[in-house]
Amino acid sequence: MWKVYKYTLLDLARNRFALGYAFLLLLVSLGLFLLEGDDTKALISLTQVVLALTPLLALVFTIIYFYNQYEFTVLLAVQPLRRQAILRAQFLAITTALVVSFLFGVGLPVIAWTSNAIGWTLLLTGTALTAVFCALGISIAVRQRDRAKAVGVGLVTWVLMVLVYDSLLLWLLFTFSEYPIEPVIVPLAALNPIDLSRILIMLKIDLAALLGYTGAVYQHFFGSFGGMVVSFLALLLWTALPAWGAVRAFVRKDL
Amino acid sequence: MNRIAFQNLGKRYGKQWALRGVSAAFAEGEVVMVIGPNGSGKTTLIKCLLGLVRSTEGSIAVNGTVIGTDPSYRAAIGYMPQLAEFPKELTVEQLLRMMNDIRGARSGSTDDRLIASLGVDALLDKRISNLSGGMRQKVSAVLAFRYRPNILVLDEPTAGLDPISAGTLLEAVLQARRNGATVLITSHIMEEVQRLGDRVAYLQDGLLRFALPPETITEVTGESVLSIALPKYLAQLSPVHVEGL
Repeated sequence: MWKVYKYTLLDLARNRFALGYAFLLLLVSLGLFLLEGDDTKALISLTQVVLALTPLLALVFTIIYFYNQYEFTVLLAVQPLRRQAILRAQFLAITTALVVSFLFGVGLPVIAWTSNAIGWTLLLTGTALTAVFCALGISIAVRQRDRAKAVGVGLVTWVLMVLVYDSLLLWLLFTFSEYPIEPVIVPLAALNPIDLSRILIMLKIDLAALLGYTGAVYQHFFGSFGGMVVSFLALLLWTALPAWGAVRAFVRKDL
Repeated sequence: MNRIAFQNLGKRYGKQWALRGVSAAFAEGEVVMVIGPNGSGKTTLIKCLLGLVRSTEGSIAVNGTVIGTDPSYRAAIGYMPQLAEFPKELTVEQLLRMMNDIRGARSGSTDDRLIASLGVDALLDKRISNLSGGMRQKVSAVLAFRYRPNILVLDEPTAGLDPISAGTLLEAVLQARRNGATVLITSHIMEEVQRLGDRVAYLQDGLLRFALPPETITEVTGESVLSIALPKYLAQLSPVHVEGL
């Protein structure tokens, strides 16, 4: 597996899109820190960018890279290699490349301007989100025969997680505002990796106080050490399950 | 000894059978030209042999062992696909090194003659993204022959190659045959089929209609050119006739 990983990573290291992504993030991060007078405000703006942009680019890039490599993947599958090893290696290489791009583009400015718990939480959640959406991307790509259809499914997945799921939670909160719905909302929020990441960062910035009782419930659960561990385990599961499913589908697939 | 043996092989996609009841055996030192109309099952047959497609029924034995989920049998196979695509940002040399690593090839154990004769040595420091389709085909040919496989599977190998390189490649096929390799080639070029093939395996609608020496087909029809003899021979066959297996 590591042989395929090594050369796939070498290919990705020179990939224009991966390099462009790193520099785009660097430009956005530097712009926000230089233009905003307040570092915390810049970090909040950067959080919004990261929570929207990182999942989208990880999803689309993973799908497109998988299809661009398809003929070569077939050639690898004809070598004395197990298919599991091929897909795991490609998934790990794509994730590594995008995480490095993210840490270069967002990590360097964040460490330079706000090397505190908020900054580190943003970097951790951004890294986790990259892995989650690379896993979802490879899972979609393996199951679809057509590249355009796969990209479409990826975009719908992204819209569902970034916009629709949030809207549903808000609707629930407003509709049942007279009931103690918060204990239900907490696990529901944890089911969406983007919401989960947002909550984790929000709690570090202390914006949870603005949310009243809901914020208090979030603080009570996610603010504790156990809550943090559960949150990161949830993000790990969000990565492991789609990746495992993708490998399983790839092994059974007619190439 | 049979290098490849298909036993009642069948593959179904949904309700459609792409291959059905294919039984044939190919010996060492034999060049088999796999031909047939588009959609006849040639690619599916090759993909079943390479482990890219799981058969619905039947079995395939390679070098005497029925293939299953263990990928080690593929160490004996060299494959040249019709469309050669590699990681675009790697150089040719890095690609060759990658394949060496995957194959566990030691220094000096590889057959590098095609690198020089196809002019791939001049491309070693070039990135794949800077190679033309023909150049990528040459690299693909090098990879197929490099690890001294005793089975070669070549899918339309001369498509996209210039005439000189095509000649060099076909000479390499004949050399591999002399060394005892079994070679399966799909081709639409009938001159190639007649010149190279020890047997012609003809597939139609997923059925293997015959696997005969080209001379048998030309003798039966009284035509010396295979491209003319073949339609006449097919016209003589009953719809379910299978011969020479």
